[in-house]
Amino acid sequence: MVNTEKPKRGVSLYSYSGEYGVTMTLEDMLADIHDMGAEGLEILANGHIEGYPEPSDEWLENWHRMLKKYQIKPVEYGHWVDSRRYPGRELSTQESYDSLLRDIKLAHKLGFPIMRTKLGVIDDTLTPVSNWREFIHMALPAAEQYDVRMCPEIHNPTVLKSKMVDDYVEFIEKEKTTRFGLNIDFGVFQTNPMQLWEGMPPMEFSPVEDIIPLLPYVHVCHAKFYNMSDDFIETTTPYDKIIATLIAHQWDGYLLSEYEGPNKEVPGYASGQLRRQHILMKRLLGEA
Amino acid sequence: MLEKESIQSRGFRNVSQGGKVTGFQVAFRSLYYRGVWLSQLRPATVIVDGESFSGEQVTWTISGKTYAQTELAQHGEVNWPLLEPAVLTVRKPGGLAQGIHDVEIKYSYSCSYMPPVMDELMVQLNGPNKRQLVLV
Repeated sequence: MVNTEKPKRGVSLYSYSGEYGVTMTLEDMLADIHDMGAEGLEILANGHIEGYPEPSDEWLENWHRMLKKYQIKPVEYGHWVDSRRYPGRELSTQESYDSLLRDIKLAHKLGFPIMRTKLGVIDDTLTPVSNWREFIHMALPAAEQYDVRMCPEIHNPTVLKSKMVDDYVEFIEKEKTTRFGLNIDFGVFQTNPMQLWEGMPPMEFSPVEDIIPLLPYVHVCHAKFYNMSDDFIETTTPYDKIIATLIAHQWDGYLLSEYEGPNKEVPGYASGQLRRQHILMKRLLGEA
Repeated sequence: MLEKESIQSRGFRNVSQGGKVTGFQVAFRSLYYRGVWLSQLRPATVIVDGESFSGEQVTWTISGKTYAQTELAQHGEVNWPLLEPAVLTVRKPGGLAQGIHDVEIKYSYSCSYMPPVMDELMVQLNGPNKRQLVLV
């Protein structure tokens, strides 16, 4: 859809995972996001929903109260189809569908229009389980009914020009569906990656322009970042080029910040990195 | 709020049955960023002052229910909530002596979105879960 809207800012609660439950509550995280002028939210279902997969009415009531209080828009519901849930065997197609269906209903109940549907993989190059087409196909009517879109995340070491992405696009085209799409994690665009741990293997990354042909299928992006400098530059990833490309192609989805750098467990550190990143994004998006 | 370390200082105590001390308990939280299904967990080993306890010597209590380590694999519908410490109860007649102990917990879980080889390595990524605890 062509329009003049721009990408919007949000935050994934993953960013706070070093502090959650220790120095920050769910409400603290939502307050923090509101305080940096961001609106969109990603949660991780079996991390942030107390009582998952069956939260109490009291929890749900408090959830909606907090969204209202902090003017937060639920954007993406992170969840997993845990193919290796049981030792020694893969989940059957029916079990995978059942798990997916339960999350579709819960995502809808919590107000999320997009699901980050993480699929199980079978090898070192992250090839998804062989029956993914079957259970995603089974879930399309429920996704329609509950008004959600299922989006696997394209994350390094996967590159955008790859069989995995081609397979997803082919599936979307074949099904003629908007209920299945992509979440592009900006980590795939790194030009100056950080050595996050000793012995981290070198990875292949994608040029920013490789996202252009995929944009019709991209419902949300993970604004992955590792290191914000004090002059508001992300040192690993060409944010200027990425955001200029999204604006030029009138992509108007949410950029959900995902901090994956060091010191996540240092109180206030992730928040300080997020605030720096949101200065960068505000500038690139032309927000006052 | 939880203590930052995986192994919690609260919950470290001897346990008794019928007036006899039968063992001890230690509570620990997951350092992963999401809760896992019990069937994703691999059996834990608890090491106290160099002495190892594993297999049937250890049970898991999660949300008030206690599971033998061999039972975990069947409970794919029960989630270990991220913010709830699991309590490991270790069989050791007589329990532990009052005082300071070096406690280590080793365990792993499957992680379907990572290469299968990672399932057995998660214990290293999340470890070491070691702490000096004081038994009152």
